[in-house]
Amino acid sequence: MEMYKIVVPGDFLSRDVKRAGEGTYVEDGCVYAHLYGILDEKDEIKVVALSGKYVPRRGDVVIGRIVDFSFPYWVVDIASPYKALLHVAEVAEEGERIEMSRMHEYLDIDDLIVAKVKSVDASMRVELSLMKEFRVRRGDRLIEISHTKIPRIIGRHGSMIKMLKERSGCFIFIAKNGRIWIKGREDAVDVVSEAILMIANEAHTSGLTDRVARMLDTFRFQRRIFRKQGAAGVKERTEGREVGGYGSVGSDMRESESKSESESENESKSECESESGSGRVGEGGERLV
Amino acid sequence: MKKKGVQLIKDGRRIDGRAFDELRPIRIEVGVLKRADGSCYFELGENKVIAAVYGPRELHPRHIQDAKRAIIQYRYNMAPFSVDERKRPGPDRRSIEISKVSREALEPVIMTEFYPRTTIDVFVEVLQSDAGTRTAGINAASVALADAGIPMRDLVTSVAVGKVDGEIVLDLNAYEDNYGEADMPIAMIVRKNKITMMQMDGKMTKDEIKKALKLAKKACEKIYQLQREALIAKYSEEIEREEQSDEQSAQWLKV
Amino acid sequence: MTEVVDELRRDYVCNLIRSGKRMDGRDFLEYREISVERGFAKKAEGSARVKIGGTQVLVGVKMEVGEPFPDTPDEGIIITNAELVPLASPEFEPGPPDENSVELARVVDRGIRGSNAIDLRSLCIEEGSKVWIIFIDIHVLDDDGNLLDASALGAIAALLDTKIPYERHGFAPCEVNPKTERLSVKMRPVAVTMADVEGNILVDPNLFEESAANAKITITTNEDGSISCIQKSRVGMLEWEKVDELIEIAEEKGKEIRNAFLK
Repeated sequence: MEMYKIVVPGDFLSRDVKRAGEGTYVEDGCVYAHLYGILDEKDEIKVVALSGKYVPRRGDVVIGRIVDFSFPYWVVDIASPYKALLHVAEVAEEGERIEMSRMHEYLDIDDLIVAKVKSVDASMRVELSLMKEFRVRRGDRLIEISHTKIPRIIGRHGSMIKMLKERSGCFIFIAKNGRIWIKGREDAVDVVSEAILMIANEAHTSGLTDRVARMLDTFRFQRRIFRKQGAAGVKERTEGREVGGYGSVGSDMRESESKSESESENESKSECESESGSGRVGEGGERLV
Repeated sequence: MKKKGVQLIKDGRRIDGRAFDELRPIRIEVGVLKRADGSCYFELGENKVIAAVYGPRELHPRHIQDAKRAIIQYRYNMAPFSVDERKRPGPDRRSIEISKVSREALEPVIMTEFYPRTTIDVFVEVLQSDAGTRTAGINAASVALADAGIPMRDLVTSVAVGKVDGEIVLDLNAYEDNYGEADMPIAMIVRKNKITMMQMDGKMTKDEIKKALKLAKKACEKIYQLQREALIAKYSEEIEREEQSDEQSAQWLKV
Repeated sequence: MTEVVDELRRDYVCNLIRSGKRMDGRDFLEYREISVERGFAKKAEGSARVKIGGTQVLVGVKMEVGEPFPDTPDEGIIITNAELVPLASPEFEPGPPDENSVELARVVDRGIRGSNAIDLRSLCIEEGSKVWIIFIDIHVLDDDGNLLDASALGAIAALLDTKIPYERHGFAPCEVNPKTERLSVKMRPVAVTMADVEGNILVDPNLFEESAANAKITITTNEDGSISCIQKSRVGMLEWEKVDELIEIAEEKGKEIRNAFLK
C-alpha cells in the first residue's frame, strides 16, 4: 500500500521546472504547489485538486441546463461560476431559422442538454455546441458531484465506470462538469446512484473499488432472487444512510415492470457498448481521485 | 485603553501564566460546514472563530466585476454574544476596518487571474472573543481558501505581538490588549518572509518593533505548521494503489 | 457537493414521498440526528450549539441592565434576534435582517414568551428604572433546512444554561433580583416544524423537502400540554382537517426532544 502525498499551497515540490504541470507554479527556479491536493509526479509534476469549481475548457463534454433566453442564445448553467451560451444556429436544422419568440419550442427553461464546449475566450465567455445524438428525457436520472471526483468515477483505464455499467446494466454518461446521467431499471439506477455518491464521498480512501464491487454484487444477488420468485419483488433500500441528493428528471416515465428482465438488460447493454468508448467522457480513464 | 496601576507581568510571567514568547493553545478543524465551498474552525486560547469561503462564484452587479480576475470580498463579523457587553448585530467601524486589512492580507497570495469576472467571498464569524480575533480569522480564512480549492501561491499566517508592562510579548489576550502599551497584529507569508498585514496601536520604539517582529515571525512559523497539519490530516486515510484493487475486483468478476 | 440539479428537487422529493420514502431514508415523522451542546460560547451568559442533521445553529444569551418599557415598569425584557449570516448558505447575503430572519426570531420569541418560561417580574431590579434585559441571539452557521426547530431548541437550551452576570454589572452575587445563580426557567417549549408535501406530513423537513413543500407549519408545545406558538409559512394551503393531527404530532415529538435534550 502506498501513501499518496497531500500538499498545500506554497509547498516546495521540485527544482525540475521543465516538468511543472497543473496545480503548480514556478518561481526562482523552483516548482511549488498552488492547490490543496494530491501530488502526482509520474510524468509531469501535478497537483490533483480535491475540491474547487469546474472551469470550462474547449473540448469538454458537459451536461447543461437552460436557465435563460438571450436571443440569439440560450443561457446555460454548466455547474460552474461561468454560464455558457448556446447559439440558435446550433439547434436549428439545415436552412432553418429559429425566431426569438419560438426559442422555447426548441429548448425551454430547465431542459437538459449534452454539449461540447466550443470556445472559451479570455474573459471566460463560453460557447457550446449541441451534441444532438444525446437527448436527456424526463424519467432519466441526473446526479451532480464535485467535478474533481469525475476521474475517480471513471477509474484507471475506465475500470470503475466499466464495472458500474456491466454490473447494473445501466446507461451511464459522465460529463466533465460533474454531472452524471443514468438510464435503466429504477432499482439498478438507484444502486448506481448510491455507488457513485459513495465513490465521490470516499474518493481519497483505499479499498474503494472493492466496496463498490460488493455493493453492485449485492444488487445482482437480489435480482437473481427476483427472477426465481418470478415477481417484481420488493426493492431493498439501504437503511438510515445519508444518501445525499440526486435527481429524477420528471415523474411519469418509469420502466414498466412487466418488461422482461433479459430484454431490458440487452437494451441497456447495447447502449453501454456504444458509449464505452470513453473518449466521449472527455478524459477517458484518468487515474485516481 | 492603558490603565495605570494594573500589573500585567509578575515574576517574569504574564497574568495567565504564559511566558513572554508563548502562544495560546490552538485548535484547527478543516471542512466543518456543509453548505460552504471551504471552511475552517479555529481556536486561539479563548478565541473561537469560524471562516467560510464561497466561490469563485458569479458576481452581481456586473459593473463591479473585473474582466481579468476574481475580486475578493472579506467580511469579518462578531456574534452579539461573543464579547462581554452584548454587541449589536451588524457591521461597525471596527469590523469594516478589520475586513479591509484582512482582505489585503490574503489577496496577494490568491491567484485571482484564474477566475475573471467572479467573486471569492470569505466570511469570518467570531463566536467567542479574547483579543486576537482578526489574526485567528486570517489564519482560519487561509485554511478555508485552501479547503475550497482556491489556487494560492502560499498560505498566510497571522499573529499579534505587543508591549505590556514594558516587555515585548506574543499573542496578547483581552486583558493585555486593554491595559498594555501597544498591540501589533501581523500577517505574513512564512516561507517567503513577506508581510501582508501590519498594524500598530499604541506606542513603541523602533528597536521594540524590530524585536516584536522577530517574535512574530517565530510564532508564525509554528502556526503555519499547524495550518498545514490540519489540512493534511483531513485526508489522512491511506490511498491504495488502483492496480492492487483492480486485480482484486477482477477476481470478483470471475466468481 | 452532492446535489440535485435545482429545479428538479420538487419532482424528485414528491416522487419519493408518493412511494412512502424520504431521500435520506427517514420515516415521515422522524427527526434527523440532533445534538445539543450547552456552554459553547463562554462570553455569553448562556449558550447552546444545536445540530439537526446538517443544520447548525449557535444561540447565545446575554444579560444587560437597562430601563424597563414604560407600560411595564416592573418587568424585565426579552429581545430575540436572528442572524442568517452569509457563511451559513449561498443564499444568505450580508445586510440588515430580511423577512426570513425576522420571522425566525419572532417565532422563537413567541414560543418562549407565550409559555411564560421566564417570569419577567423576577427580573426587576428597581421598579421603573432598572431591569434585566435578556438578549437571545440566534447565529445560524449552516442551513440544511428547518432552521426554526434548531433555533428554538438552541434558545431554550441556552436559557437553561444561563448564569446571571451580577458582577459584570457591579452587583455582588445574588444581591439583586432574581437572587438566584442561574436564570429560572419554568417551562421548556419545543418547536416542531412539519412540512406538507401533497398532503403527506413530514417532520423536520431538510433543505430539499422545504423547497418541495407547499406549506410548512411550526407548533410549539410545553410540558403542561399548552401550546405557545403556531406559525404557518410558505405559499400553499393546509387542510382544515389536518390541524388536529399536526398538533398531536407536535406534542409527541416535542415530548421526545424535551426528554432527550432539555433535562
